Amino acid sequence: MRVLLRRLMGVAVGGALAGCAGQHHPMNTLVTKSNLASWIYSLFVQVTFWDLLVLAIVVAALALAIFWFSTRVGDPTEPAAFQSDTRLELAWIIGPALILLAITVPTVRTIIRTQPNRWPKNALTVKVIAHRWWWEFSYPQYHIQTADELHLPVNREIHFELTSADIIHSFWVPALGGKRDVIPGQVNQITLIANTPGEYYGQCAEFCGLSHANMRFRVFVQTQDGFKKWMDHQLKPPVNPGSGPAAAGAAIYKNAPCAICHQIRGVSGFSKQYTYGFRGPDLTHFGSRTTIAAGILDNNPKNLARWIANPPEVKPGARMPALGVRGKELDELVAYLESLK
Amino acid sequence: MAAQPKPLPVEGPHYLEGGGILGWLTTVDHKRVAVLYGVTALLLMLVGGTEAMLIRTQLMRPDNHVLTAAWYNQIFTMHGTTMIFLVIMPLETGFFANFLIPLQIGARDVAFPRINALSYWLFLAGAVFMHLGLVTHVLNLGTVPSGLPNAGWFGYANLTESQYSPGLNIDFWDIGLLILGVSSVLAALNFFVTIVNMRAPGMTFMRMPMFMWAILVTTILILLAFPALTVGLIFLFLDRFFGTHFYRVTAGATPILWQHLFWIFGHPEVYIMALPAFGMISEILPVFSRKPLFGYPMMAYSLVLIAFLSYGVWGHHMFATGMGPIADATFAITSMLIAIPTGIKVFSWIATVWGGRLRFTTAMLFALAFIIEFTIGGLSGIMHASAPIDLQQTDSYFVVAHFHYVLGGGVLFAILGAFYYWCPKISGRMLDETLGKWQFWLLVIGFNLTFFPMHWLGTWGMPRRIYTYAPGMGWSTLNFVETIGAYIQAVSFIVFFANILLTLRRGEKAAADPWDGRTLEWSVASPPPAYNFAVLPEGGSRDDFWVQKYGTLAGAHGGGSSAAGATAAAHAAAEAAEHIHMPAPSLYPLLFALGVFLMGVGALAWLRIVILGGMVVALSIIAMAFEYPAHGEEAAESEPVFYRGVDNRKAGMWAFLGSECVFFTALISTYMVYKSRNLAGPDAQILNIPLTSFSTFILLMSSLLMVLALAAFRRGDDKWGRIWLLGTAGFGCIFLGGQVYEFTDFYLQGLYMQTNIFGQTFYTLVGTHGFHVFIGVCWLVTLAIAGFLGKIDSKRSLAVEIAGLYWHFVDVVWIVIFTLVYLMRTVKHA
Repeated sequence: MRVLLRRLMGVAVGGALAGCAGQHHPMNTLVTKSNLASWIYSLFVQVTFWDLLVLAIVVAALALAIFWFSTRVGDPTEPAAFQSDTRLELAWIIGPALILLAITVPTVRTIIRTQPNRWPKNALTVKVIAHRWWWEFSYPQYHIQTADELHLPVNREIHFELTSADIIHSFWVPALGGKRDVIPGQVNQITLIANTPGEYYGQCAEFCGLSHANMRFRVFVQTQDGFKKWMDHQLKPPVNPGSGPAAAGAAIYKNAPCAICHQIRGVSGFSKQYTYGFRGPDLTHFGSRTTIAAGILDNNPKNLARWIANPPEVKPGARMPALGVRGKELDELVAYLESLK
Repeated sequence: MAAQPKPLPVEGPHYLEGGGILGWLTTVDHKRVAVLYGVTALLLMLVGGTEAMLIRTQLMRPDNHVLTAAWYNQIFTMHGTTMIFLVIMPLETGFFANFLIPLQIGARDVAFPRINALSYWLFLAGAVFMHLGLVTHVLNLGTVPSGLPNAGWFGYANLTESQYSPGLNIDFWDIGLLILGVSSVLAALNFFVTIVNMRAPGMTFMRMPMFMWAILVTTILILLAFPALTVGLIFLFLDRFFGTHFYRVTAGATPILWQHLFWIFGHPEVYIMALPAFGMISEILPVFSRKPLFGYPMMAYSLVLIAFLSYGVWGHHMFATGMGPIADATFAITSMLIAIPTGIKVFSWIATVWGGRLRFTTAMLFALAFIIEFTIGGLSGIMHASAPIDLQQTDSYFVVAHFHYVLGGGVLFAILGAFYYWCPKISGRMLDETLGKWQFWLLVIGFNLTFFPMHWLGTWGMPRRIYTYAPGMGWSTLNFVETIGAYIQAVSFIVFFANILLTLRRGEKAAADPWDGRTLEWSVASPPPAYNFAVLPEGGSRDDFWVQKYGTLAGAHGGGSSAAGATAAAHAAAEAAEHIHMPAPSLYPLLFALGVFLMGVGALAWLRIVILGGMVVALSIIAMAFEYPAHGEEAAESEPVFYRGVDNRKAGMWAFLGSECVFFTALISTYMVYKSRNLAGPDAQILNIPLTSFSTFILLMSSLLMVLALAAFRRGDDKWGRIWLLGTAGFGCIFLGGQVYEFTDFYLQGLYMQTNIFGQTFYTLVGTHGFHVFIGVCWLVTLAIAGFLGKIDSKRSLAVEIAGLYWHFVDVVWIVIFTLVYLMRTVKHA
């Protein structure tokens, strides 16, 4: 019976939401790729069903009142001063109360289910640190870090620990579940199991100043094997530039102020001289990422050159300044960074 | 249609006539103040609407460049701030409620006419101040970058800290909102006392028009909600100007404190905007259905219930902050409960229409559309109440759709309906119905075309407050459609403003009772005379004017007064009107607000201007005090005013103290939360308990002296009255001296406001209390001087009684502070 009711709700709500099929919506909250997102979706379908039911009742009642059970100006009969009816009034207290009960019970159950008392112990831990305006992801169990692109294994419990280096942001990957604010001085948590390999979009959801709109990221959910391969690659030291433009670029990288904020393992570490907020993305395997500048540009030499030439022009307020690297030097620097596969 | 005997309005000058510009600047007539509010808010509606058009134009296409990121952030911030604080609130409370309260309850003016004018001028000062950043930006004034506020209408800390928002933008917002808060609280206090105290003799609470119920509950919400915002804004001010750490993580503080303070204000604020709209709908539907409001008692109780619940739901704005499952579940359940009283309202409105004889005027169309649009907004609100769903929807376009259905399709539709309904009364001319219907249909189409697709954009993951988006996200088509909808809305509002201008020029003259109304405002001329009622009405039944006209609540039989009787009554009224004494105009409210404005400007520009502004404020207060006989006493002696038991001033003081309770609760709670988060430096162990016990004892004894003083004045013993008054003030001074010693001692031990979060919360809390004591001492000394001048006798002991109320309140607050801060100083280190 309950299954049948669920099915009915699904059909009703699915019909109402028709129109989302056929188009590409990389941030669609209704296409769920994790247990967390599915739980939320199922609750959403139930509540939407009740909402549509109530809306239908209200619209029908008002339409009846206007078009059927009323008269127009010119009608000589004086309307009755119908002012109260205890049974009717009780009905529209008890009716909505029952509907609310039907919403509240699954709501509270989902709250408890999605925020377990004890966070999983054997999960893959992912530390998320939000910066203005990019994302730092690190895997403390593997001692690696990356930026703006998150790789996750499928069907394994993942435990996110979220905190911020500066102001409040919000971590949101609609396909994997609801958002969670990323708050300085506080560690928030999400736990979930992604169930389908694929590329998903994420974006900061709490207004965080000038480039809030440009604080995007990608999530790659991979097969267990694929994830292991990626992880093994990330653990390797950076590619040796050898000779040619990339080698020249490596020399420029070391002499330019890049290393103040950026890290390439074995080449330059994060400076201790500056505060946490001065950190830029880890570049050890920069060339293996598909996007740059927090998911707003494809990672190719042309875009990278444009970015390095004047970051605030690409991303308003970007904290990386224009460093004055131009011409041949710029091309060499780009060649070096792109070589860091 | 049944015969409609119309009472003859008294011929004579109406409130809009005469006075010239100076008359408007110095007016204290609630109707003129209302018109000032209305005109200002309509102009600001143009500003807010233009901002909306800019937002929609920018979002029309992906990767659009109409606005830069910096401009977009300023404009969406000001769109929200303007629409909420400078358009909806002033139109509902400042314009319609201000105009209608005395007319609907049968009074000549509000309880405190000069405070009413002061509320308006402060509102204007706050509104102008909020936009000053645009001027400084364009003229490139000052050494610090500036511009319009740019952190969103709820300005989340710690983005608003000077480290992350170094420009003056946030300062204009912070100080502007503080000024607007004072204006709102003063207006609320005034209207609260007016409705509670000045209703016509027969008008019990359960006979008031439903709009009055809505406004009464709204004023209570304003009184008890704004102090939380004020405290949050003061903390922000201290952080930005004095280097404290209320929202700074590095000192152990948390930016979440702002969210709690803001939403404890912010959710009641939603009902501060929604309840007056409910009231307006509850007035319009019965009139055009020719039926009384269905379920009056339940409608009144549900207003009270919504207001009560609104204080327990602020957490539903913070589900994503990670409050934990218990808090999430609690706030989810309390939020859902609000649906029950709201459901009562929706179904009762439908039952009001049911079986009526409907007239589809523009006002009625807006009211009917309101029911549907508001229901849609309410139902998506239930989704947000369900915490897990909210995690997907909050901060996405789904929530943008939700609150525009509540505030646009809901509240704004009600306001527009109210314009068409009450404009004849206010301006004396009818708004054009043909243009009105054009406006209505354009708006219904444009509104739904703009905001309904946002539900989809939200479920497709479009975050709010982004100035641009990439193509290929699947958001482009709907955004384009929405922008077209927004332009249709713009056309609708052009029709609206054209209608208003045309009406004022050559609109059809309005009769006193053009709609066959039910409530008292329709019993006076359109526009009403300055004194409202020549003979104050009795107000002996619900829908009083209808019963006067027809004899019963149903309109079956023409009854009430005969034509001859009406003429006789009109003559009697004309005669009575000659003896009506109205409060004299005053320039000081305007000067007061100007002083406050100068203080704000000075805070950002040149400290000396703060002092100048402060002097203007102080002089205005003193000058107002000397106006006293002309404004209070004389009027009170010359006509019978049927205050219900308590004097207006005393009722006002009680309302103010209620507001103060929330203010101190917010300060004390902050102290309690922060004292255990102290990272370094001195903490509560520094407190000197023996010394403070002594000054506590002194302060409590001063309350005893205060009681003696009042008793002495009451029995006519002026000499001892003055002695006890001075004694009270003296004990207050000893307490203050103790505090000065204490603060100096701590200062020398190295505890400053900026030292740590113990220092800042301690000084802020105890210092604010000390400031209250200081104000009390000044007040008592002033009273004692008045006593020496022979101005206080047993008849005027009320002045002492009111000061006493304040003094006792401040003492009670001290007992709480002494207990929580001093006696329970043990710090539990986490």
